[in-house]
Amino acid sequence: MNDATLAIQGLSKSFGGVRAIADVSLAVPQGSLTAVIGPNGAGKTTLFNLVTNLYVADSGAIDFQGRSIRGYSPGAIARMGLIRTFQSARIFPGMTTRENAIAGAHMHLRVPTWQHMLWLKGARREEAALAAKADRLLELVGLTPFRDVAATDLPMGAQKMLEVVRALMAEPRLLLLDEPAAGLNDAETAELAELLRAVRDSGVTVIVVEHNMSLVMGVADQVVVLDAGSIVASGSPRAIQQDKRVIAAYVGAEA
Amino acid sequence: MNLAIQIVIGGLLQGAVFAVIALGFSLVFRVTGVLNLSQGAFCVVGALVMYTIEVSWGWPLPVAAVAASLATTAFGLALGVLCFVPAVPRLPTSSMLILTAGLLTLLQGVLLIGWSSQPYALPPFSGEAPVVLWGIRIPTQGFWIAGITIAVVFAMWFMVQRTTLGTALRACAENRVAARLMGIDVPRMTLLSFGLAVLIAAISGIAVAPITSLEFDTGGFFTNFGFIAVAIGGLGSFLGSVAGGLFLGVAEQLAAGYVSSLFANALALALLLMVLLWRPNGLFGGGVARRTDVRDEQRIYHAIVRVQGRGGLVFAITAIALVLGLPLLFSNAGILSSLVITGILYISVLGLDVLMGYAGQVSLGQAGFMAIGGYTAAILAVTYGVPPLWGTLAGIVLSVAAAGVLSFVTLRLRGHYLALATLAFGLLIDSLTVGMVDTTGGPSGLAGIPAFSIGSIAFVSPIDMYYLVAAIIIVLVLALYGAMRSGFGRALIAVRTDQTAAAALGVNVVRYKLAAFLISAALGSLSGSLYAFYFHFLAPEMVATPRSFEMIAMLVAGGEGTLVGSALGVALLTLLPTVFQPFALYKTLAEGLLLVLCFMWLPEGMFGFATVWLTRWLRRRALPPPAAEKAMP
Repeated sequence: MNDATLAIQGLSKSFGGVRAIADVSLAVPQGSLTAVIGPNGAGKTTLFNLVTNLYVADSGAIDFQGRSIRGYSPGAIARMGLIRTFQSARIFPGMTTRENAIAGAHMHLRVPTWQHMLWLKGARREEAALAAKADRLLELVGLTPFRDVAATDLPMGAQKMLEVVRALMAEPRLLLLDEPAAGLNDAETAELAELLRAVRDSGVTVIVVEHNMSLVMGVADQVVVLDAGSIVASGSPRAIQQDKRVIAAYVGAEA
Repeated sequence: MNLAIQIVIGGLLQGAVFAVIALGFSLVFRVTGVLNLSQGAFCVVGALVMYTIEVSWGWPLPVAAVAASLATTAFGLALGVLCFVPAVPRLPTSSMLILTAGLLTLLQGVLLIGWSSQPYALPPFSGEAPVVLWGIRIPTQGFWIAGITIAVVFAMWFMVQRTTLGTALRACAENRVAARLMGIDVPRMTLLSFGLAVLIAAISGIAVAPITSLEFDTGGFFTNFGFIAVAIGGLGSFLGSVAGGLFLGVAEQLAAGYVSSLFANALALALLLMVLLWRPNGLFGGGVARRTDVRDEQRIYHAIVRVQGRGGLVFAITAIALVLGLPLLFSNAGILSSLVITGILYISVLGLDVLMGYAGQVSLGQAGFMAIGGYTAAILAVTYGVPPLWGTLAGIVLSVAAAGVLSFVTLRLRGHYLALATLAFGLLIDSLTVGMVDTTGGPSGLAGIPAFSIGSIAFVSPIDMYYLVAAIIIVLVLALYGAMRSGFGRALIAVRTDQTAAAALGVNVVRYKLAAFLISAALGSLSGSLYAFYFHFLAPEMVATPRSFEMIAMLVAGGEGTLVGSALGVALLTLLPTVFQPFALYKTLAEGLLLVLCFMWLPEGMFGFATVWLTRWLRRRALPPPAAEKAMP
């Protein structure tokens, strides 16, 4: 599976006696959009936290672009091009909407700080280029009118959109989105679906944890179903919709 | 042998106070998660109130002791109701730490006004004649201290571990939200723990006052050693607090008795740093280990203060014109001199702003870097005839190196441990400047420092110095402003508000914290050197720990995270005592009050408040219909 952007083998994590993730293996092909679904407490967010090393895995292998990333700090993993968002939109308070977006480009900054201290032309040019790029993305998700207001003043849905924009500013190779549609209304969800397709088509591999079935079924190439820490099914959206085990996991087992 | 036993007994008596203060720390921490730095000051309040009642008014000892304890507790409860209790749910723990530092300053200010700055000692409870046992002289007060300490510790233990009230207190410690849902009145429990801590501090202050001389600012000393004791023992452990206090007392007295009191201070602080480094949960560990690693860090909200676009340019030009024109407006020599001091202190506060206002790291030791810069440059100039410019640079190099070593300890620490390591650093520098008499001139200071000069240009008169400092400030503010509006500043703000999210975007959190710390150390050092060259004299108290607290008050009052805002705070606290001489006595009180009031009601500071208000007003005038905004391309 050398073409897999992210390859997870036998990943496990327990909290006390609870096995939050039990022997999960997963391959995410380059340029695909994978959706991870499952009931509350299935371990979806824990999976993200293990991949980005916010939690240290008990066992298993995590390879990103053919290279093991277990044991690297969250910052180092981000610098390899693996960027995530958080379930509870973690935009930076104390910054405006546009500054939040620009903050996403942190690891692509090239001009050293001393040039900013001297107010040199190159430094200002870089800032202007970033601002222009941020403005384009903000326009795309309809946040332009709120560009210069405190990001914490935005409604929840807009904050989640801003977090996606901020992640895109980081130019990820692999983008992990944790419930991006939570708090969005139907129109905004449709916009998000549009954005996700565009991102995938631009060559970025995407994994999205989501509850919103219409979003998942509309955009995903591959759907993975987690329940109680294990993968119970995976396949195309159509196949998943008819899978008995999936229905059991969501509706409750009757057999 | 007898000497050693004598010293150990002295140490145990000294340690008994540390133990009770440590207990108070532990009690409040367990209920609120806050380290209450005002703790030690209540010992002194208790003892001085007792002095007035017993000695001045001539009340009988038992009545006076009860009255003094109750009066102090009532005062403490009032402060608790007015400020501590309402602040706990509103402020993040790092801000609470500064708030309680403000309370400490405030209490010292009150004591200074009420009892002025002279030492007090109470008469011993049972006469002066010591008891002699096997040739060892024990002051009778020692038995009182031992008895009272044991009674206090046992009463506390019984209350917390064996009563329903204690269970409620412990429930608040475990989980405030759940405790509230279970019907526990959390604010009342917070107040109760705060009041109890005040009560036991007052009792122990009264008990030791006959064998220790107390001044208005001794509370800071008690707080420091009480804290070191609780850090050694472990914040969550009763037994640990007591053992930590006794151990520290004995270690300190042995070191003082056999080596020197300078060494004793250094030893206590070295112990603290070692414990922080290797056993952050204390030697007795356990207790309430808060899971800061998994839980979402508390996010700190700041109002966004921006002067954007053309407004910024107008503001900058006005500010520069004002700075250059000020001496023309004030011909009064006193005011001009105060303006120079304002400028010099502002350089140090500017560094503090980068560290606290932007990177969100609390430093209680900024004056320590002023001391390194000041003394390095002054000693090089006076003793070795090194030109001031080179001495200043040497001070900066030394400060940055010291900050680097210190950050080796602090960067591994989280939350309040980090702030306290810087406090320990500041105190260590204090004891060095006082204790190294041969090099620093000790308490009487170092005189004969030349004026600052660059090559053959000497800045002798206040007006020369004013324009030198003004030029340095303009260059520094422009450079820092450039850095803060770039990726560097964004990374610092990101680190302050949400470390996890910052790391998830590839920000090297440790590197940015370190950079901010080094910048603050360098600017503190520069300010200290200029301070020494301006006064031609440097004494320890000019750059001691109270100065660190003062600079925090200036920063918070002026406005954190704005670079220029803190200038207002510095000017306010420096110029007022010059303009109104009688104010000098009230300065300590004013600093404490300003810090507390700003934290409670003006979190963005004077500058931030004015800017936010002005921006809102201008925007409302410029863009009347909000619908027009939406139509923007």
